Amino acid sequence: MKSEEIAAKTSSPWFAIRKDLDSKQRLILSCFSFLLPILIWVIVSYTPFIWHPDVKLQLSADRTDVTTIYSAGDRLSKEFYPSFVEAIQSDNAEILAAREQGEVDGSASRIRRANLKVMRHITPVVTANGWLTRDEVKDESLYGVWQKLAEGSLEQKRVQLSAENMEIIKRNWALMSERSEVFDSKLLPETPLEKLVPQGKPSNPSYLPSPHEVVVKGIQDFTAEADGNNPSLFQRYRHSLRIVFLGFLFAALVGVPLGVICGTFDFFSKLFEPFIDFFRYMPAPAFSTLLVAVFLANDAPKIALVFVGTFFQLVLVVANTTRQLDASLLEAAQTLGANKSTQIRRVILPGILPDLFNDLRILLGWAWTWLVIAELIGVKSGLTEFMDTQGRFRNFDSVFPVIILIGVSGFVTDQILSSLRKYLFPWTPESSSKKHGFIGRFIYWLLDRKVYDSPLNGKV
Amino acid sequence: MSELIQLPSYKEQSPEVSARFEALHKRPVKLKVEGLSKTFHTSKGSVNVLKSIDLNVYRREFVSVIGPSGCGKSTLIRMLAGLETLSGGRFLLNDKEVSGPSADRGMVFQGYTLFPWLSVKKNVMFGLEVNGRSGTAVEQEALQWIELVGLARFADAYPSQLSGGMKQRVAIARALATQPEVLFMDEPFGALDPHTRSQMQAYLLQIWKNVDVTIMFVTHDLDEAIYLSDRILVLKANPGEIHEFIEVPVPRPRTPEQFLSPEFLSVKQHLEELIHPVSSNDDEPTDLPIVRMTSASDNVE
Repeated sequence: MKSEEIAAKTSSPWFAIRKDLDSKQRLILSCFSFLLPILIWVIVSYTPFIWHPDVKLQLSADRTDVTTIYSAGDRLSKEFYPSFVEAIQSDNAEILAAREQGEVDGSASRIRRANLKVMRHITPVVTANGWLTRDEVKDESLYGVWQKLAEGSLEQKRVQLSAENMEIIKRNWALMSERSEVFDSKLLPETPLEKLVPQGKPSNPSYLPSPHEVVVKGIQDFTAEADGNNPSLFQRYRHSLRIVFLGFLFAALVGVPLGVICGTFDFFSKLFEPFIDFFRYMPAPAFSTLLVAVFLANDAPKIALVFVGTFFQLVLVVANTTRQLDASLLEAAQTLGANKSTQIRRVILPGILPDLFNDLRILLGWAWTWLVIAELIGVKSGLTEFMDTQGRFRNFDSVFPVIILIGVSGFVTDQILSSLRKYLFPWTPESSSKKHGFIGRFIYWLLDRKVYDSPLNGKV
Repeated sequence: MSELIQLPSYKEQSPEVSARFEALHKRPVKLKVEGLSKTFHTSKGSVNVLKSIDLNVYRREFVSVIGPSGCGKSTLIRMLAGLETLSGGRFLLNDKEVSGPSADRGMVFQGYTLFPWLSVKKNVMFGLEVNGRSGTAVEQEALQWIELVGLARFADAYPSQLSGGMKQRVAIARALATQPEVLFMDEPFGALDPHTRSQMQAYLLQIWKNVDVTIMFVTHDLDEAIYLSDRILVLKANPGEIHEFIEVPVPRPRTPEQFLSPEFLSVKQHLEELIHPVSSNDDEPTDLPIVRMTSASDNVE
């Protein structure tokens, strides 16, 4: 009992003003910061009475004299859906009334054609329940399904047909089987069949697919093979990575030396920085058409756009970092006899390295944000082309995995780079204060083996 | 304090001390400063920080520079170290005019200024390598200097792993490694706690004894100046001029017990008078206005 009390006291309080939580608490909260948005998504997606403003059709029907066609999978607003169902029901009532009075208009072949359509309307339910695969769906097999449904010998797993529709199926099958037990386009009933009444379930708009749809679609998309002009998602991903990293690499190759020189010599700072400062306010996408005109098609203008978007920022940030270096270090070096080039090589460069690494890490994040815009210019390519195409067809369950992939790539790169920092720069205070894990100690040992054979432990 | 002890004049020197100063003045002049002045130009006009400074510093002498804040004592040694330009005058090192920073005039700063990316050993090797030397000899030499300041165990540590006093010892070793003619020290122990500070003073005296180096030491701590120096250069502010160049009558070798010796106290009293004259603080009242914030019955004093 007592030890528990002591344990409770040693963990820090959850709500303390400007006090750090302990590492375990931080880990828990970090996990929650990811779990919470996912949880909200799950709740909104799987709780029918929260939001769900639409009805997603599982079974549709054509209305007489109305050209608007809805098919299974379409979403109708909750307000409109009942009137759609009523319209079909009243169509059916008219058909029954006409049938009773024997006033069937139209030729027998026209009625047969209309009846064929009615028969085919059941297809979405057939495939959803797995009674037939997409390839197996033929008029002959559908005819068989009608028979089995009417006889009640099919199990309705995914999509339950309503009692109303089951009655209609039985009445229609009675008429159909009267003419023929197997499908024959010539032997369809010549009295109009009742239409199946639309069925649907509450759903969110297409732009918010539910988690499982996104996961399933994502796996499908990522495992799909490349075909012809359509590269696989992994090929697209590589392509996008190439654009980001090349654009960033070129920006860094030119920008870092320029930034260091600007931060070192006031001459270059005043010569370059005012213009660069002005230039960075012009949004990079504004140059897209210009870049296409200069660099023509393919990847060059895209890489150039990432470059333009990153370079100017990078120069200013690096120049500032260079200026942040403690000037007294340079004075100390001078009193030790260092000339200008030695000061740059042996004081400025190693001195700014940890901060420079950090700057580049943050600027790589900037480069990522230009990716989508870069891929839209000229000929669309990479992940963006895929997202653009799928988005146009409102296949947002395909778009989401790609958006998440881009986010995860940026985040993971950043995390890796920031954890590498303490191994690359073991002299920085944060690196000596943090404890190294097993892998960390190994990397440390690889990088700085000399620490272990110093004259102090007699291994020289 | 009901009765004040009668102190001897700070100018009274025992025969041993005066013989020592006589010998000292016969040594070659290491650093000769002639009419040095410094004017800073700011947007509010120009400020005359130092005016016509003349002085000689002899070989292996320990000179402290003290003065009220703003008297330009840091500026003076920064100019001599070559880190500030001169507005007028000149100075000679070994009778040769020099300008700009160079390894023959070392400097120890208050802020340690160790290179954080280099280990202690590499920090000390820096000056040697910069001056075109390389190889294992450099490393051995650096290790000797590190040993001299008593940090052999920490040769491979990074500066961030050391305490303030240890860092400053590395900085001293690094400055001495290039074997400068003169070592300038700009309030080197100003950021240290009192205990470490007195320890560092003792270390510095030992090092100075073992190394052929002339030291110019800026401080605002009077005890420190008296304890360490042969002579104390007292500056006055606005503009910075030499107030007095005092010969310290405290005999060497120095020990902390001497802090209470009559010679020590007389120099200190004189320095107090020079730096904090009674009349100088007219704008600051000596007594605070009396406002009682305690209850009437609370009579602690």
